[in-house]
Amino acid sequence: MAKPRKIGPTAWIVGGAGLFIGAVAAWLVSQGNPGNMGLCIACFLRDTAGFFVGGTTGQAATAYIRPEIIGLILGALVAALATREFRSRGGSSPVLRFVLGFIFMVSALIFLGCTVRAWLRLGGGDLSAIWGILGIVAGVLIGVALLKRGFSLGRSKAASKPLGKALGWIVPVIAAVLLVLAIVTAVSGTPGWATLTVANGRSVIPGQVVVQTADGVTTVVKPADATIVDGAVIAADGTVLADAEKVASTKAMPGGKRAALVISLLAGLAIGVVAQRSRFCSVGGIRDAVLVRRYDLLFGIAGLVIGATIVNLILGQYSLGFTGQPVAHNDALGSFAAMTIAGLAAVMMGGCPLRQTIMGSEGDADAAIAVLGMLVGAGFAHWAGIPSSGAGLSDLAWPAMGVMAVVLAAIAFAKRSRVA
Amino acid sequence: MKELDARGLSCPLPLMHTKKAIEDAPAEILVLVDSGTAKANVVALLSDSGYTVSVESTPEEYRITAVRE
Repeated sequence: MAKPRKIGPTAWIVGGAGLFIGAVAAWLVSQGNPGNMGLCIACFLRDTAGFFVGGTTGQAATAYIRPEIIGLILGALVAALATREFRSRGGSSPVLRFVLGFIFMVSALIFLGCTVRAWLRLGGGDLSAIWGILGIVAGVLIGVALLKRGFSLGRSKAASKPLGKALGWIVPVIAAVLLVLAIVTAVSGTPGWATLTVANGRSVIPGQVVVQTADGVTTVVKPADATIVDGAVIAADGTVLADAEKVASTKAMPGGKRAALVISLLAGLAIGVVAQRSRFCSVGGIRDAVLVRRYDLLFGIAGLVIGATIVNLILGQYSLGFTGQPVAHNDALGSFAAMTIAGLAAVMMGGCPLRQTIMGSEGDADAAIAVLGMLVGAGFAHWAGIPSSGAGLSDLAWPAMGVMAVVLAAIAFAKRSRVA
Repeated sequence: MKELDARGLSCPLPLMHTKKAIEDAPAEILVLVDSGTAKANVVALLSDSGYTVSVESTPEEYRITAVRE
């Protein structure tokens, strides 16, 4: 009998996939994406939601169809079709999966990053990510305890009827619609009903004064008749709307920091293929190591951090420290609590948001519902004013986390196994 | 031959159940799954646990047969 082994060839494949994804994500930052946000499923779904509902939800700073998301989906779809792994299936607690996706998103927006970006932040030297990562570990451990006691959302079924088979295409169809809208917007401007964050824009006075910097030259986007004089924003009648210091100290809006459409799309496609083939998951690593003593997916996480760290160092983007990090706050307890909730929600729905997106692209209608939950959760969170900013948590963050913890406990109780 | 039906289960249940099923080291086991991810995970676990694995793919499911080496 061959000797059982802990680390098989698949561990190295997932590790290589993590290395690739981390490296590409760090490189995307150099191409224009926000700091330590080359790839963030929560943030990018949120930005995408902002394009559609940003006017209602107050997402002027986070509204852009992220082509990485489109690429991810189409890359995974092609990989799944090519390997005959595309199978329409669903019916495993869709309503609860919507709620879990919703909760995942809201808590990720309190931390400022999903379970993928948490590790990418660490790979950029952002030590405040550690609070969130500790939270992920705690959430996963709670999830593992639930799984051991028999927690399950139930079996999905393969679709046999035409309607069921069509439902497997929800996520790919969404990607196709997003691709058309992204191209239309790039070619002929933003549709009247949509919201688009000004590229490289800075919101000097929210809703009133917005400036844009391109090739080192700053111009005023809003109000239309104002101009820049010695770095200050001056209205048509000569009033100083914002002095030079105020303009210079205003940070860029995350939604306005983006790589070129083609670059984002191709990077997303490549990551989509790699993620589908390797089964990379950002919460499965800790989960499987604790639960079944399997380390394949943990290699993926190690690869992700190493790949991002190396490329960030090479490109001069690495900055070690707890404070002053891009799109991050250093609220230790808030980050820990938010990611405990996100990590638990991810384990309960069977994988991180990246995996939900990939599975949705393989015909899994339940995963598609979880992705929809995340999109709606993003819009809701911004509408309600729950997301954090670089300054820290909003007033509603803790009440929201309390409610979400109760809902997760209720789902865990409802779906516990009788044999526990 | 021991049989395990893990069709339709979310991660990591197929892996959990397979691990439990091979605890008493059966000479041969058949695991049914219906997603590519579950197939890959179960095949990797069985291969790493000293089994020779073969997979039969049908439009509805993957039939993973593992024989102890």
